[in-house]
Amino acid sequence: MSFFNLTWWIVPLIITIFSGILCPAMGTVLITHRRLLQVNLISHCVLPGLALALALGIHPSIGGVISGLTGAIIAESLTNKKSENYEAIMNTILAGMLGFGVLIIPLLGIRIDLEAVLFGDLLTANLGDLLRTLIAFLIFCSLIIFGYEKIIYVGLDSEGAAANGINVSLLNLALSFTTALVIVSSMSAVGVILVIALLSTPTLLGVSKAPSLRVAMIKSSIFGLFISVLGFIISLVFNLSPGPAISVLCVISLIFLKKDKRL
Amino acid sequence: MSSLIAHNLSYSYSKNSEPALTKVSVEIKPGTLTALVGPNGAGKSTLLRLMKGQTSPDSGEITIDGEILNKSSTQVALMPQRSSMNWKFPITVEKLVSLGQIKKTKSRNSLPFQIKDLLSRPKTWVNKCCEIEASMQRVGISNLAKRRLDSLSGGQQQRALLAKTLMSSAKIFLLDEPCSALDPPAREEFLKIVRQIADSGLSVFISSHDWGSSLNAYDRVVVLDKRILATGTPNVIQERLDDICCLKDKTLCDC
Repeated sequence: MSFFNLTWWIVPLIITIFSGILCPAMGTVLITHRRLLQVNLISHCVLPGLALALALGIHPSIGGVISGLTGAIIAESLTNKKSENYEAIMNTILAGMLGFGVLIIPLLGIRIDLEAVLFGDLLTANLGDLLRTLIAFLIFCSLIIFGYEKIIYVGLDSEGAAANGINVSLLNLALSFTTALVIVSSMSAVGVILVIALLSTPTLLGVSKAPSLRVAMIKSSIFGLFISVLGFIISLVFNLSPGPAISVLCVISLIFLKKDKRL
Repeated sequence: MSSLIAHNLSYSYSKNSEPALTKVSVEIKPGTLTALVGPNGAGKSTLLRLMKGQTSPDSGEITIDGEILNKSSTQVALMPQRSSMNWKFPITVEKLVSLGQIKKTKSRNSLPFQIKDLLSRPKTWVNKCCEIEASMQRVGISNLAKRRLDSLSGGQQQRALLAKTLMSSAKIFLLDEPCSALDPPAREEFLKIVRQIADSGLSVFISSHDWGSSLNAYDRVVVLDKRILATGTPNVIQERLDDICCLKDKTLCDC
């Protein structure tokens, strides 16, 4: 029986394509803003929100976004990138929120397939997952279309941007919200932990030598799309889990990264 | 032509901390090139931020042509220190310079407005491009327009940043340690450019660590170490150098 005779793979493939484009594009914005650690933070902060949302009977992704955003806001209120404690505080909140999530699951008496949340379960993805990915895609596109110049200015010189009347805090909040949305939307594709690879690796390949943020995002998305679809095909052919396959491909693709001698 | 007067400015970063500035008074006259010199921690950057209106002083006031400076004033432009810039950001020199216009066209800088602008007012759009080109020409980096920022030398990066700052409609330009990472030829070149800017009638106020012969490139020198230690022409300041150093237990001479 050939899988091409069936239609079950169409929705997972579309999700793979959109995640493969969206995650690296988002990652490009974050890496150029030196906010990639925030991806790690938000992805670990999603779990308590998922658990609480399930317990309250609301959609888990809404809880996940709120919880991820809350973690980012807590971290931003306690520290900033210039602080020497920045990484330590970010990692403490990251571990604390993940621990909190694991603690409340039995306390709330709910059942969560932790493996699927953390590492993805693409082959069981449904139209709801696709819709979530499309919403994240549209919100990200809106942010880029209406805030492109501001994103560039803040990434280049946040103090100067603030002095020129740009609301840097609001922009950072919008970036955190969109990051949380992208992470939750990619939950089915690669899981909230393995999404870190898809947000980082194609970005490293795309940003190098790109003359503008726009070109860097397009290049990253092309790399991301290629890695995601290849990972998806490999997982189908060899009956593997797509999330980990995509993550491993991300690591392998690092061999194409040229070492910058100036660093 | 605008003149800026800072009168009796005092500022502390927190209630219990030592004041960063105490009763500082400075005047920036139109068309002058002024150096603000002092050791590390003297409060140079703090004073520039106050003069830009980014921070409010605890006491004292800043006026431009007799009017109190407010936060949204477009009369003053500040070129930040090298260290506050993300030089690895993927951006060309041309695009960086265009960002200097962001305040002028603040509500219309998103992509839909840019396209609308281009279609409805092609003349304005062309003018904008001419302004960018003119600003790059002014600092001698037109040939670098398409180059990525991180592929430039330190001196070229500083000139690109100056071109961006010059895009604003300000009459008073505050430059925060623009020569700090430059070698002597690049520093000399940079000072030549700012001299031309001052000669065109704009006021340039530069903070610097450089306490040597390059002071002669300026019209006036202000020596700051949390308070004003001396003000005058470069010759007067250099003659009084020993006295100024004595005042500060020689710390200024070490910088």
